[in-house]
Amino acid sequence: MNAATETREIVTVTVGEISLRGTYHRSDSPADQSGSKRTGVLFVNAGFLPRASIGDSAVYLADSLAQCGYPSFRFDLTGLGDSDGDVPAPLLDFMNSGGYAPILSATVRELVERFSLSGLIIFGHCGGATSALFSAAITKECTGLILLDPYFFLPVERTKVRAELSHWVSRDRFGALASAVYHFLKHVRLLLRRNRPPSNANLPLIGCWKQLASAGLPILVLKAPALKTRGTKPRVGEFDYLGYLQALAGRNSRIAIEFIESTDHSFANLQGRTAVRHHTEQWLNAVTERRPVLEFAERCEGNVRGSEVECGR
Amino acid sequence: MQSQHSLGSNPLEQAGYFKVSGAHLYTVLHGSVDPVARVLLVGPFASERHHSYIPWVRWARYLAARRIECLRYDYRGIGESTGVFENMSFDTWKKDVDLLAGWLESQSPHVPLMLHGLELGALLAAKAFDAGVGDGLLLWSPPASANQALRATLSRRISIEQAFKYGDERKPSSYYIGQLESGGFLEVEGYQWSGRLWQESFGFELPAGMAGEGAVASMSERPLRIVKLDQGMAPLTKGSSVGYDAVNRDFTGLFADNFGWIAQSLGILQEGNSERCN
Repeated sequence: MNAATETREIVTVTVGEISLRGTYHRSDSPADQSGSKRTGVLFVNAGFLPRASIGDSAVYLADSLAQCGYPSFRFDLTGLGDSDGDVPAPLLDFMNSGGYAPILSATVRELVERFSLSGLIIFGHCGGATSALFSAAITKECTGLILLDPYFFLPVERTKVRAELSHWVSRDRFGALASAVYHFLKHVRLLLRRNRPPSNANLPLIGCWKQLASAGLPILVLKAPALKTRGTKPRVGEFDYLGYLQALAGRNSRIAIEFIESTDHSFANLQGRTAVRHHTEQWLNAVTERRPVLEFAERCEGNVRGSEVECGR
Repeated sequence: MQSQHSLGSNPLEQAGYFKVSGAHLYTVLHGSVDPVARVLLVGPFASERHHSYIPWVRWARYLAARRIECLRYDYRGIGESTGVFENMSFDTWKKDVDLLAGWLESQSPHVPLMLHGLELGALLAAKAFDAGVGDGLLLWSPPASANQALRATLSRRISIEQAFKYGDERKPSSYYIGQLESGGFLEVEGYQWSGRLWQESFGFELPAGMAGEGAVASMSERPLRIVKLDQGMAPLTKGSSVGYDAVNRDFTGLFADNFGWIAQSLGILQEGNSERCN
């Protein structure tokens, strides 16, 4: 057994008594030999999933970004995947309150130091986006964020009754009507509240966003289609968090929001992962002001296969 | 066998890449000082891997803490292993079981080796055992055939997809199965299933005599056990949904019962040894 392949290496970061297990996707870009420090990308678990993520989409993305010159890391947080420790209970509350931020922040610092990076951009999906935001707020080595379907409210586990109700609503004509009325009433309530976040908004998380965005930290948000809506706007009756957060960010902010069609919340299907790679590569090249040499531009272009993206533009 | 990468605070937990033809299998050895037995853990298939990962790792740690060394791994083309999923076949994955079992056995031939599979992994482990590999076999929820496992995963994918669609957008199962039967590809939770894989799945069956929990005792001179896990065992096995509430489920009862069986059937739970094993 080897600790590495031609392109990947198993890495461990120990924080206190906890060892986190991860995979390093080597980048053999010319920048590696030039001596200039590179920007890396760190992927964290999407919720409780292991670091490969659904359909191994994180593996695919990390491989692709490494090929384009960005050394990439995927790590399992405490209690998840191959890492040490017990899963914090209840996990969802722990994540939503920024419980993973200290250990993730320490991991970022350790990787930047060990791999001589200029900084790390944290890539978080769903619950991972929450951990990424909380961590970035306490980590100066974090030089950007890529957030897939972040949420800014405090979700609760769906009860069985609620799940049954949703099922009925989606199958029954009267259910659909009841749902439309319900969401219309929610919409009226939102109007009466004058664009104030709902009572279950994750205010500490929104505070982190405001701090980071107003300080000019580059943030890329990628959104998948949600139920009964198109684009980045939520369905009728739901609070428009992204609109609110953009307004909150101020003039110095460097926020990019992209909508990805033909995928779902996992971003794992071919269209989803290809589009995520496309947007991520373009955005990374822009925020790192990197102009890859022709060879690498061609390689990135080849990776995109059929899309119109050109790496480095 | 070259260097492995130890898992920080537990130096006996080592991850590595096992070279096979055209790919590297990601493996984690849950080592034990002076092991009394070894178990090759053959996990569930593709998307099922992700949901069952936490309890599967816990099971490996549970056994290793009781002097049963475990090797778990990712199938070729899945998870941390390299290789292209679309190019894989059940025979390829079966070969991986043989290779890893051989490697594990070679570590100390005097210690018994058990194969343990979960869901599709149970089918792979059963095939290897049937061909003479291993001193014992433990199966958790083996499907009768690979097709049964694929269908279960597919139905779950369809029901999740339908929850986000309305009216005519909803397609029946036959629509998706038709795509596979006509030789095309179908994306299932991020994996591109090929029509070829689907066709092969019909013929990849549990060896005769391993179909039921009660039908196994007389089948082999080597110890063999089949345990059917119900939906209450999610996320270790498929549930209607796997949410955050299920992540921390306590499987101590299941683990203790199956450890007891392994220890007893391999003759390692002896007087004076039982305390150490427990």
